[in-house]
Amino acid sequence: MLERTPEMRALARRSRNRRWRGYALSWMMILPAMIFLILFVIYPVFNMGNMSLYRGNATNPYKEFLGLDNYHRLFFVKEDFYNALGNTALYTVGALISVMVFSLLFAQWMYKKRKLNNIAQTVFFTPHLVAGVSAGFIWSWLMSSQSYGLFNSVLTAIGLPEVHWLDSSAMAMPSIIIMNTWKSIGYYALIILSSMKNIPDEIYEAARLDSASSVKTFFKITLPMISPQLFFLLITITTGSFKVFDSVRIMTNGGPGDSTRVLSMYIYDYAFQRNNTLGYACAAGMVMLLIMIIITIIDFAFVEKKVHYQ
Amino acid sequence: MAKIEFQKVCKSFGQTKVIENLDLTIEDGKFTVLVGSSGCGKTTLLRMIAGIGPATSGRIFMDGKDITDVPPEKRDIAMVFQNYAIYPTMSVRENIEFGLKNRKVPKAERARLIEEYSEIVGLTEYLDRKPSQLSGGQRQRVALARAMVKKPAVFLMDEPLSNLDAKLRAAMRVELIELQRRLGTTFVYVTHDQVEAMSMADTIVLMEKGEIQQVGAPEEIYHEPNNVFAAQFIGTPPMNIMEMSGGSRVGFRPEKVVLGDRPDVQMPIRMRGTIATREMLGAETQYKVVLKSGATIMVKSPDEGFREGAAVCAMVPAPDVHFFDAKGQHIGHGGPADLLKAAGGMNDA
Repeated sequence: MLERTPEMRALARRSRNRRWRGYALSWMMILPAMIFLILFVIYPVFNMGNMSLYRGNATNPYKEFLGLDNYHRLFFVKEDFYNALGNTALYTVGALISVMVFSLLFAQWMYKKRKLNNIAQTVFFTPHLVAGVSAGFIWSWLMSSQSYGLFNSVLTAIGLPEVHWLDSSAMAMPSIIIMNTWKSIGYYALIILSSMKNIPDEIYEAARLDSASSVKTFFKITLPMISPQLFFLLITITTGSFKVFDSVRIMTNGGPGDSTRVLSMYIYDYAFQRNNTLGYACAAGMVMLLIMIIITIIDFAFVEKKVHYQ
Repeated sequence: MAKIEFQKVCKSFGQTKVIENLDLTIEDGKFTVLVGSSGCGKTTLLRMIAGIGPATSGRIFMDGKDITDVPPEKRDIAMVFQNYAIYPTMSVRENIEFGLKNRKVPKAERARLIEEYSEIVGLTEYLDRKPSQLSGGQRQRVALARAMVKKPAVFLMDEPLSNLDAKLRAAMRVELIELQRRLGTTFVYVTHDQVEAMSMADTIVLMEKGEIQQVGAPEEIYHEPNNVFAAQFIGTPPMNIMEMSGGSRVGFRPEKVVLGDRPDVQMPIRMRGTIATREMLGAETQYKVVLKSGATIMVKSPDEGFREGAAVCAMVPAPDVHFFDAKGQHIGHGGPADLLKAAGGMNDA
């Protein structure tokens, strides 16, 4: 081996210094984000985990140490947690399918250049700008079974039977899904549309020359080519739906019965509406967090394999 | 195999008329190259044959059958696009197979065809790769295989070599010529590169501003250009064109100019000038000569002995002098005598 000369050592030291300076700079760049993440995400999560081991309320969360008793009650004593979990799953699956399908259809419809498109885009995007609570109120009115409920008034006017939108346990959840689809379709369709527009025309022309039907073109060319965006949508819609709260709170408040009581409402109830069950709500929150992490991991492990990145 | 005929074809995009009343026949089994500068309508013409950019009016026939309103999938054609347009989400195999599947070719037959054509284009080892894992040349081959496997009557190619580097382009040029000879299919090839057109075509269709300037074999267009545009589009450097009194023009190819130290009275055109630049190209040397009149001409000469700044006499023999009228139309070359005499008016030596 060659003897290391002082020049070589100086060179090595300088490159080490430069590398260290690179690290320092990159950490400095992400430091603000890290601080926020630790302060508002990581710390609360740990705090929640800690609180879930106690009995207490908002003013005194650590009244009595219970160990894992809250979790035991959650899974094995009380039945209502499974109900909330089931409702949440139902809502998430329903919202995911309906938002994805309708956003795709709407984007596909908007793909062709028309004069109407700008208006349609605005009309469909506006609901996204409306606050969830306001949208909930508007739709409660539209779907009301009182005489001022617009949907039912129209239905009766054209001779159709009334629908118990929000006050039947069978229709309440679909109604909330309908309203949230209406609210988010413009936003997601816009994301899909912009990725569709990135597909070169030549690919479609080649497909036509290859005698591909329009259905086949959609499933074999369009869908795979926008799969990265669809995957992004899958993750955001799933996690977003899992946390649904405001629209349910306004439109049904969990009812009729417990038919629309979703997880976040369940947690809210136990945390702030009842006495000394804050720890219990925290336990439910931990379970919800865990489920979302598992779903996301599954998405990345299995679904992402089907995603085509350029 | 098929013959293609355009009859009174027009095409406009909105208010812009790109092609007006165009008639053209593309011969069966020939390698036809549509060449012209960008925006001249050559790709528009190709897309009409493909059926993906229908004509505004006029009719298109394929082997005598009117295909103007036939959808692309029902035409017996295949196309190679400028950016290849291979399906990025599919493997090489799936790319080649896609059209076959859509046409309901049985599985065993598909496998056989894929094997056969991936062999021809040399992609057998790459069948399971995605296009993103291939080089530009390989992608080009995928596009070719995908087109060939259809066994079309007409092959359409839209600047298929423009994205390749110079060396690969030259190699692919030869391969395409061989391919056409072997298949004996009608090839319609679009390019803006006159070298490509000259080297590959049986017939060149030279276009400008939506109008056909000349149709002919490469030799014909080179030696007998219809007009000033054809004379200047084909050939590097282009033909030297000089205005004579009365508005008509005289032209001569750079390689036909004879350079000498002193004028030769046998030559009808004799002009004094100075060598401005000298480019040694190997077999020949290219000079830019500034004439005494102030005009510049390009000269290609086997004689590499002239240096920059040297005073020379540029001369053109009678058979190599072309004449164009005031509108730029070719009116003959080598003579007639009165024209030659008129051209002699430019002489200063």
